[in-house]
Amino acid sequence: MQITTSRLGTALIALEVNCQRNRQVAAIRQALRLIFPIILLGSLADFVDQAWLQRTGYFYQTLHVANWVFQLRVMRQYLRLISAGTLGLAAILMAFAVSFYLVAPVTRQTSNRLMAGMTAVISLKFFNVSRPSVLALRPIKWASANLGLQGILMGILIGLLVGNSYRWLLVHHETTGLTGPFLLMSGWLLGTTALGLLWVTTQTVSLNAAFVSAIQWPFRLPHFILGLLGYSGLTSLYAWLGVLEPITPSGQTVATAQNLEAVLNHAGWQLPHPVTLHTVVDVYANFGGTGMLLGLVLAILLVHGHTRHHAVAWLSLVPTLGNFGAPIMVGLPVMLSPLLGIPFLLAPLVCISVSWLCLRLAWVPAVAYPLLTGTPGPFLAFLGTGGNWSALVLGLVNLALSTAIYYPFVKWHVQAQAQIAGEVADDDPRN
Amino acid sequence: MIHAIKRGFIVVLGLLVLLSLPGFLWRPQQRSEVRSHYQTLMAPVFLVPGSSATQNRFNALVKELNRETPATHSLLRVEVKTTGQLVYTGRIQPGDTRPFIVVGFQNHHDGAQNILKQAKWFALAFNALQKTYKFNHFSAMGHSNGGLVLTLFLENSLDQSAVRANRLMTIATPFNLEEDDAAVDTPLFKTLEAGRQRLPRQLVVYSIAGSKTFTGDGIVPFDSVNRGKYLFQDQVKGFTQITVTGANANHADLPENQQIVALIRQDLLS
Repeated sequence: MQITTSRLGTALIALEVNCQRNRQVAAIRQALRLIFPIILLGSLADFVDQAWLQRTGYFYQTLHVANWVFQLRVMRQYLRLISAGTLGLAAILMAFAVSFYLVAPVTRQTSNRLMAGMTAVISLKFFNVSRPSVLALRPIKWASANLGLQGILMGILIGLLVGNSYRWLLVHHETTGLTGPFLLMSGWLLGTTALGLLWVTTQTVSLNAAFVSAIQWPFRLPHFILGLLGYSGLTSLYAWLGVLEPITPSGQTVATAQNLEAVLNHAGWQLPHPVTLHTVVDVYANFGGTGMLLGLVLAILLVHGHTRHHAVAWLSLVPTLGNFGAPIMVGLPVMLSPLLGIPFLLAPLVCISVSWLCLRLAWVPAVAYPLLTGTPGPFLAFLGTGGNWSALVLGLVNLALSTAIYYPFVKWHVQAQAQIAGEVADDDPRN
Repeated sequence: MIHAIKRGFIVVLGLLVLLSLPGFLWRPQQRSEVRSHYQTLMAPVFLVPGSSATQNRFNALVKELNRETPATHSLLRVEVKTTGQLVYTGRIQPGDTRPFIVVGFQNHHDGAQNILKQAKWFALAFNALQKTYKFNHFSAMGHSNGGLVLTLFLENSLDQSAVRANRLMTIATPFNLEEDDAAVDTPLFKTLEAGRQRLPRQLVVYSIAGSKTFTGDGIVPFDSVNRGKYLFQDQVKGFTQITVTGANANHADLPENQQIVALIRQDLLS
């Protein structure tokens, strides 16, 4: 057992190292780490806004924020502006940074690197422009929706496209003086403008909006176990690829409303729909955001070694405790890391299976009360069931399970980072 | 080193407990808090016909409204006898969250005294239905004097702590009765004006006027419909006045007027 585990570990570490040495992945990872502080700030603003200042927030309700906070409305406006300026522009930042880092190794001139980044940003915007304003020859309006956390993947793809072609041209052509960069940049922009115009005339929505609606189609509202697992798996996969915001509409479903109605109007706790997406996935498999990231944070704090892991974990702690997972996704990054992708996919699936079993066997009641944003993960079920202790225990069990699932992978990840950094991986004496 | 890291783990667990504390302390209030913001799935739409019309007045309108909508809504008709007895026809299908409920009156005659009585009868029917179906929010549409009945009900008989009024649409409702002279206030208008502060604050009101001639829809003077602003403006969340002209713009045809059907769909049912 000991040998097979470590063999698996070695193989996975090798995979992770090879993946990170890949030029494309390396550029994306550098870009993600670059925007981490911005994403962290935006997530903190989002967390405070939603959990402290809105009626559906955990702290708003439990600490009666409305009674003592000063200028609530102004504060909300301020925080929403921060969030829009940071998280809301994530796709643009990524397009710039990915393109910049792809070009950086082949040119010494900062101007070339910056120009590659700027070209990527402009190209991204050509596909996100208000269609009527272009077609009616009115002043152009840029579309800014879907450029946030949902659009990170799109930003990366544009960044890769622009960065790689720029890189190729820089390697094969002399670009000193003024004319070289000009020809390069203008060639690119003329091309993407034509493509953007083609997009606008043939499509009714922006590229990012089209992308979001295209990846939405597999989602149905399932009420059976395979559906729950499939839903969770798909959400995790998307998040791992860079769609960091849930893309399914999070409104109240009829089943949720009927559950609440049953609880409020009848004595006892008899629910018409004990197993739904809401009562299983939202409550038991979403601690710290998609992928049970709270388990990841705890696992990092248990593993000794790499300081960057710890720094990111501590910095992201506050949003992660409120189930805002974007900072840790970007900071480590969990995104596009094969090694961390496995537990990221696995941990929610295990938690869903365990919780589903407990609900089916009626060991715990299903949640019926509306969940408050920012409630600490394991505590969600307790409040949702109106204070059921076995639900709290199940929440803690799920947290322990996910921490245990993340633990070995975090260890291997630390070793992989050490290998890449050229350090000698010091063996843990206990192994 | 290892010791220090384990300490970090314990600090986070401690934080989890600390953050859960407010939730533990708040939990006894949770049920009443949830209940106060709870909205039932069912939100019926009450339809009240004008004078001289029965509970069957809106059959054609409901048929029309049910066309081209993905889910058809059931129709329940209630007639309130002068004795206060309720007679039901039609039914609410199980699972229908937006049923139409038409409330008509055995005494459906015109005149201020009758209208005041009809408002009381409406309250009777409303309370019985609310007890049966347990909805806690609703919308309403009144044609002609039916709008007066609803306005009187909202001012005087609605228990606002239990039931929330979402939207009200009045079609050609003569808030100053058939009074042609803009300078004269009828006693009923004065009653309505006196009670306007009791109107629900979160209500959204649409007042539609038909215009056949330049002064009215053939029966109700335009000025009388226009008086609605003195009741609703600055009292409710939103007040919109709409004037409809063209074919079917005379008083009796208004509920079947295609423009008004579209307005009902758009403003009352959406």
